[in-house]
Amino acid sequence: MKELVCIVCPRGCTMQIEGEGEQIKVSGNFCKRGAEFALSEMTEPKRTICTTVKTVFAEEPVLPVRVSRDIPKDRIFDVMAEINKVTVKKKVKRGETIIKDVLGLGVDVIATSGILKELSK
Amino acid sequence: MKNNYDVIVIGGGPAGLAAAIQAKDCGAEVLLVERESRLGGILKQCIHDGFGLVRFKEKLSGPEYAERFIDVFKEKKIDYSLLTFVTRIEKNAGGFQVVLVSRSGVTSVQAKSLVFATGCRERTAKQVMIHGTRPSGVFTAGTAQHFTNLLGELPTRKCVILGSGDIGLIMARRLTLEGAQVLGVYEAKPTPSGLTRNIHQCLHDYNIPIYLSHTVTRVFGQDRLTAVEISEVDENMTPIAGTEKIVECDALILSVGLIPENELAEGLGVKIDPRTKGPAVNGQLMTSVDGVFSCGNALHVNDLVDYVSESGEIAGKNAAEYAQGARNEIGIDIAGSFLYAVPQKLDLNRNNSEITVYFRSREILDKSVFKILVDGKEVYAKKYQFLRPPEMERLLINFDSFGLTKDSQIQFEIEVNSQ
Amino acid sequence: MNLKKVNKKLHKRFGNAVTASASQDRITVSGRLPQWNDVVEACRMAATKYSKVHVVNDIVCDEVKEQKMRLPKISDQSLDGEKPDVLIIGGGISGVSIARELSKWKIDILLVDKEADLALQASGRNDGEVHPGVDLGKGSVKHYYIRKGNEMYEQLCRDLDVPFRRVGQYVCFDKNWMKPAISLYCLWRRKHDGISDTVLISGEELHRREPHLGENFKFAISNPSSGCVCPYGLTIAYAENAVQNGARVALNTAVTGMQVENGKIISVQTNRGTLYPKVVINAAGVFAEDIAAMAQDRFFSIHPRRGTNSILDKKAGAFMHSIASVVGLDFGKNHSKGGGILHTVHDNLLLGPDAVETYEKENTETRKESIETVFAKQKKTMPTVSQRDIITYFTGVRAPTFEEDFIIEKGRSTENIIHCAGIQSPGLTTAPAVALDIEKMAVEMLSRNSTIHSNSNFNPKRRGVPVLREMSDEERNRLIEENPDYGVIVCRCEEISRGEILDALKSPICVPTVDGIKKRIRPGMGRCQGGFCSPLVTKIIAEYLGVPVSEVRKSSEDSVITFGKTK
Repeated sequence: MKELVCIVCPRGCTMQIEGEGEQIKVSGNFCKRGAEFALSEMTEPKRTICTTVKTVFAEEPVLPVRVSRDIPKDRIFDVMAEINKVTVKKKVKRGETIIKDVLGLGVDVIATSGILKELSK
Repeated sequence: MKNNYDVIVIGGGPAGLAAAIQAKDCGAEVLLVERESRLGGILKQCIHDGFGLVRFKEKLSGPEYAERFIDVFKEKKIDYSLLTFVTRIEKNAGGFQVVLVSRSGVTSVQAKSLVFATGCRERTAKQVMIHGTRPSGVFTAGTAQHFTNLLGELPTRKCVILGSGDIGLIMARRLTLEGAQVLGVYEAKPTPSGLTRNIHQCLHDYNIPIYLSHTVTRVFGQDRLTAVEISEVDENMTPIAGTEKIVECDALILSVGLIPENELAEGLGVKIDPRTKGPAVNGQLMTSVDGVFSCGNALHVNDLVDYVSESGEIAGKNAAEYAQGARNEIGIDIAGSFLYAVPQKLDLNRNNSEITVYFRSREILDKSVFKILVDGKEVYAKKYQFLRPPEMERLLINFDSFGLTKDSQIQFEIEVNSQ
Repeated sequence: MNLKKVNKKLHKRFGNAVTASASQDRITVSGRLPQWNDVVEACRMAATKYSKVHVVNDIVCDEVKEQKMRLPKISDQSLDGEKPDVLIIGGGISGVSIARELSKWKIDILLVDKEADLALQASGRNDGEVHPGVDLGKGSVKHYYIRKGNEMYEQLCRDLDVPFRRVGQYVCFDKNWMKPAISLYCLWRRKHDGISDTVLISGEELHRREPHLGENFKFAISNPSSGCVCPYGLTIAYAENAVQNGARVALNTAVTGMQVENGKIISVQTNRGTLYPKVVINAAGVFAEDIAAMAQDRFFSIHPRRGTNSILDKKAGAFMHSIASVVGLDFGKNHSKGGGILHTVHDNLLLGPDAVETYEKENTETRKESIETVFAKQKKTMPTVSQRDIITYFTGVRAPTFEEDFIIEKGRSTENIIHCAGIQSPGLTTAPAVALDIEKMAVEMLSRNSTIHSNSNFNPKRRGVPVLREMSDEERNRLIEENPDYGVIVCRCEEISRGEILDALKSPICVPTVDGIKKRIRPGMGRCQGGFCSPLVTKIIAEYLGVPVSEVRKSSEDSVITFGKTK
């Protein structure tokens, strides 16, 4: 048996997992998202990345971004390296794609703020 | 900006934005005053996700959450003034005269009611009695976050984090992602202060150790910080002599607690609850001063921004509806293992059928019951599997159903089932 | 004191480990002792309080590790070959006040300090009390200058645009039976010190004036002429005025040696080159003995004494508005252990300092014990003070001689040096008066070989950066209209605007560091201790200098704040 703490919501349920791979029994979870998380964690753990990209604008030298969906946990630093290569030159909107299909993971890197739009022309 | 408003909201973070939107929706003329150059408050620098799970059922980053509110706020054409600082407030017959300082000079604006959404500040190194030299490289987590996320500047290459508050945990992950080495998170208490999920996704995921019952007792370095001294602490959180250990690093990042900022409100005579360090309020979030409302982290430190916005909405609505008229308040006592509970009073002249109660336990409790007693008789009970201080609990209570009178004695109680 | 007697005492206490020997103007104590406290004790045995015959400490102490003066990182030749008329060593209150008074003359004045800013040692690390001048032995140098200095403060602070308040001081007593003795003592002091305003007040009157002082106080000595000033603010103001009148200030400049020939300093070595001054003024604080040694004029010794002060939130400042201390049965005997409580010119409360002997001249680390000692004592003065209200604390190292008196005199063996040494409390109070005398000495020295003229352009007035938070709305409005940056508040706790920060960056002695700006106009001095404003201030400095944020320092060259861009 394995114990896992669910990170889906602030409740942070401690769950007990029996079995291996996709054949697992989960208990201790408050909702079904916990079971989903446990399954993902036991097969292919995924995480999000929230970080910044550099911009050409002196007033806002960095722009917050995140991945549009969770990525495999072991690719976090690979994706970070890709993000760090980018410089934003356009005044992008919130939600706009900064890197499409990063490293072929089927996930985009998107802007999470519209601050650049607010910059004086 | 006009000379006269129904409601002035002080602070343009999540609480202030929600308060202003709600007050406007209730038909009030509203002005929001923000001292920084952009709306959004501290969320501007909280680029991590996890915001809005309750409200939007989505995992948003701080800026995304704030900007959703800013969009609504701007659609409603609510007056606001950026880079504007409230230097003082004077009570007068018509309500309050708020004196503002901005690039356009010193101006006075009149309001019938005020909403304080002034947020909180971080406890500093000296407030947790850190001794030694005074080098550069001692940051509160929020300051380190400002440098990293807003200025794009790396405040450390190799650091130690003191305190396991959520911002400290978030920064541990954030700095690791940016290539810095986080040697460990040290927490004086025997249990973590931050949310369990953050211990997992910010520390465990990145193999950052957490040392409980440990604290930083001294810093070294004449210019830049060169090392810190770590000591184990006993059950009273007093460092144990002989356990000192030197850890070489270039920064000490502190996440040792937040203090609601209420100096401006206190200037008006608003009474502060020593437990929450925010104003004592009634169910409408009105403070001890008529017409002065409090919300968000200025009222008490919340764990989730969703509740910050919610309290903003409550304060905004009630500030808008505030009419001159006597209050009829009764106090609420608390008994048992509370860290605190909000509200502290009820105004019987108002509608109390949907009052939001927030509380935190003082320690980790298993199988507990939150009870409301009126004149010693139990009128409400809710069972909990566990209660933990980092997690704020929230209940919606219909106090009007309890048949309260001016002589009623209301008490909140936590009962621990010992089975 | 008779040398034989001294040696008898030393022998009794330390065996044959130390001996004292005398020449006409000094007593040299030599030998070897294990602990620094023993060294201090031995030298004190040989010293006579307030005597002009000074104890020179030549004892080898096993505990003392090699104490090298910390040197600035910079090393260049930017001052090489300079021939100033007067070289002042030390940018504390003594050095800068002398520089300012000398700037009344048409002479080349160069002040050097090894630190990155002025007032970084004792002058910036004390409580800022302007003392009333009681409890000092008649005939002492301190006593000679204290009233003169105290009385100069109003005019001086008006001229230099520095806040000063004569808030008054209370020395409180909790034992009624002490009243007759203290009453007599007061009368005697009045006669002895010529201070007419010192009076005894009843406990009732004390509590009427300061309701939060200890309930059990039966009576108090009231010294209305006591005041408070911002000690580093005054130091910087003095220096700015000196610079406006033609003096020069070189920071990050340390004196490392001197060439002395036939009782005359020929040249002075620094990390910025060799200087050839006509007159040298030694205002080097804890290093005054080292400077005297370089000048071959070491006739006194300094024994550093550490003290820690705590600053409390302005909220606590609302409960007390003057200066107060409590006195036990040791009245008048010891160095103040645990200091007092003082309402600062910025409306905080300051508690302390304690007093601990140390051989470490530059160790300004704070220690938990110091804070606890001070609070334990000051809780008697004012029971409501709480460590919870602390916003910061700092340690300073005073520079007393074993005679516990100041040395304000020309060199004894070297002809072109003037010493302003042994300065400790009440050195801030005496500095303005001392500076006038040293000015005379220096002018007299310079006049031996050539005529010197007064500086007809001398302007005693200095304008500081405007303090907008203290202005009326109208006045503030007018300034913001002229410069809208005065309306952009950067430091929320102390209400400091961007305009004021830019003014400080353009001030006569620009120190473009976070601490430099903090010392001049206070962003970061409030209850959040720069948590909110330090990134903003850092950014403003970077923009002003046209450098990346990572080039901005907290204070010294190596005190970087960030390590460059994250990406």
